[in-house]
Amino acid sequence: MSDPREALASAKATADRLVKAKRFNACLTPVRELRKALVTQAQAAHPSGVLYGMPVAVKDNICTLEFTTTCGSKILEAYRSPYEATAVAKLKAAGALIAGKTNCDEFAMGSSTEHSAYGRTLHPFDKTRVPGGSSGGSAALVAAGAVPAALGSETGGSVRQPASLCGVVGIKPTYGRVSRWGLVAFGSSLDQIGVLGRSVHDAARVLSVISGRDPKDATCEDRDPLRLPNVPESLQGFVIGIPKEYFPADLDPAVRLFKELGAAVREVALPHTAYAVPTYYILAPAEASSNLARYDGARYGTRFDGSADVRALYRTTRGEGFGPEVRRRILLGTYVLSSGYYDAYYRKAQQMRALIAQDFRNAFDRGVDLLFTPTTPSPAFKAGEKLDDPVAMYLSDIFTVTANLAGLPAISIPIGRIKGLPIGGQFIGQAFLDDEMLEAAYALERVVPATEEA
Amino acid sequence: MSVTHDEVLKIARLAELEVSEDALPLLAEHMSRILDYVAQINAVPASEGVKPFVPGPDALRFRTDEVKPIPLAFGPETLAPAFKDGFFLVPKLGAFEGADS
Repeated sequence: MSDPREALASAKATADRLVKAKRFNACLTPVRELRKALVTQAQAAHPSGVLYGMPVAVKDNICTLEFTTTCGSKILEAYRSPYEATAVAKLKAAGALIAGKTNCDEFAMGSSTEHSAYGRTLHPFDKTRVPGGSSGGSAALVAAGAVPAALGSETGGSVRQPASLCGVVGIKPTYGRVSRWGLVAFGSSLDQIGVLGRSVHDAARVLSVISGRDPKDATCEDRDPLRLPNVPESLQGFVIGIPKEYFPADLDPAVRLFKELGAAVREVALPHTAYAVPTYYILAPAEASSNLARYDGARYGTRFDGSADVRALYRTTRGEGFGPEVRRRILLGTYVLSSGYYDAYYRKAQQMRALIAQDFRNAFDRGVDLLFTPTTPSPAFKAGEKLDDPVAMYLSDIFTVTANLAGLPAISIPIGRIKGLPIGGQFIGQAFLDDEMLEAAYALERVVPATEEA
Repeated sequence: MSVTHDEVLKIARLAELEVSEDALPLLAEHMSRILDYVAQINAVPASEGVKPFVPGPDALRFRTDEVKPIPLAFGPETLAPAFKDGFFLVPKLGAFEGADS
C-alpha cells in the first residue's frame, strides 16, 4: 500500500471491523475515539513505510500517546502516558496505524483475560470460554479478523497461550530482541513484547519493524532489526527436537509430520521441565512485587483518598486499586523475598532457572536446530473454570514458561482443532536465531489449514 | 505449608497493601496452596555451584553521561493526583514500622 486514499480507506474499514468485534470486549478504546484516531494517523502516516496503512492493535500495558494505558487495572484508570513505547514509535514510523488498546489481565497477570478491571474478553468462537491471556484482547481481535496483527507481551506465555487458544500465530522473540521501553514492567528479567498475527508473515513483518537496538533499554541487544527469512519449500536440512516431557500422550504424529516435511527428527530430554511453573511463580511475583511498588497514589494514576497519613494513602490506594490476582502476586513476591524465606524460595528458583536454561543448551548442543512442542495442554477452557484454583490456572502456562525462563524465542502456530476449538503447536528456537525459527514456522504453516475468522 | 492470617497481614504491611478482614481467609488459603505447589523445587538436590541465570546482554551498555531529560508530551502536573508549585501533594508523613502496627 502506498496510496494515501488506500490508507484512509484501511483506517475506516478497520474502525468498522472493530465496531463489529465490540461484542468480544477485546478492545478497550471507545469506538468514536478510535475512529477519529485512526483517520488522523492515516493522514499523518508516511507512504514509504513498510507497514503503511496496516492497522496494529496494542495491548493495554504498552504505552501510547494516542490512547490511555490502563494495564487492565483500576489503579491506572484514565492514565495517559506522557511518552510512547519504542515498539509503538517504530510501528508509527513504518506507517502502521495504532488500532486501539486491547484488553488484558491486570498488569498482564493471568492466563484467561478474566482478571481485567474492565470485564473479561470473550473467546471469539465460543463466548462461554476464555481467549487465554494475558494478551487475550489482542488474540481475540486478530482471530475475529478486526486487525491483521496486534502487539502483546509475554512474561510466561501471554502471547503464545492466547494465540493457541484463539487459532492465531503468536511470536515471543528472544529476550533482548525488542525494546521494553514503554512496556509497563511486570517481571523485568522475563518481559518481552511479542506479536500476534493472522499468519506467520503478518506477525513476522510487525516483529521485524519493532525489533532492533534501542539506547533507552539497557537490556535490548545492540543488533540490527530482524530480517525476514525466505519462505522455504520444506524443512529439509532442519533437525527438529521433540522433548518427550511436553507430550503427555503420543509423540508419533509430531514425528511423522516433520519427517513428511523433510526434517530430521530427534527425541530430546528437558529433564527440569516439571519445575518450570513453580520456578516461574516464585521469580515472576518477586519481580512484580518490586515493579509494582511504584503504584502508590502519589505520582500518577488513581488515588483512593481520605487517608490520615501518607502510608495509609499508599495502603488504601494499592488495596483498592489492585484486583485480587495482582494483590495475591504482590503478597507472594513479598513473601518469597522476605528474610527467612529468600534462600528457600527465591535463591533456589534462580538456580532452577539456570538448570532449565542449561537443559535447552544441552538439547541445542546435540545438533538440534529447533524444538517443537504443544503450546497449551488444552484448548480454550470455560470462563470461571479456573478462577477459584490459582494453581490450575498457572498450569495452563506449563508449555510456555520455559522459553521465557531461558530467554529463548518461540512461536505458536495453529495446528488443528480439538472438539471444534483451535489449538497451537510451538517452535522454540535458539537465542537470537528468531529468523531460523520463523523460516520453520513458514514451512509448517503451509501444511496446516488456516483458521477461519470468527 | 500453611500461611496464617497474621503472616498475610505482616506481608501485606511490608507490601504497603491494605487487606480487608473479609478477603483474609481466601487469600491465606490461596497463598498456602501456591506456596505448597512451588515448594516442590526443593526436591531437586541443592545446587550451590549453579550460577543464577539472567538473560540479556552480558555487559550493560552505558549511555553517555550527560544530563538530557527525556522529552515528555506533558508534565507531571497533568498526571499527578495532586500537584502544586512543582511538588506532588500527599497527606502528612505517618509513623513508620513498629509504631503503627
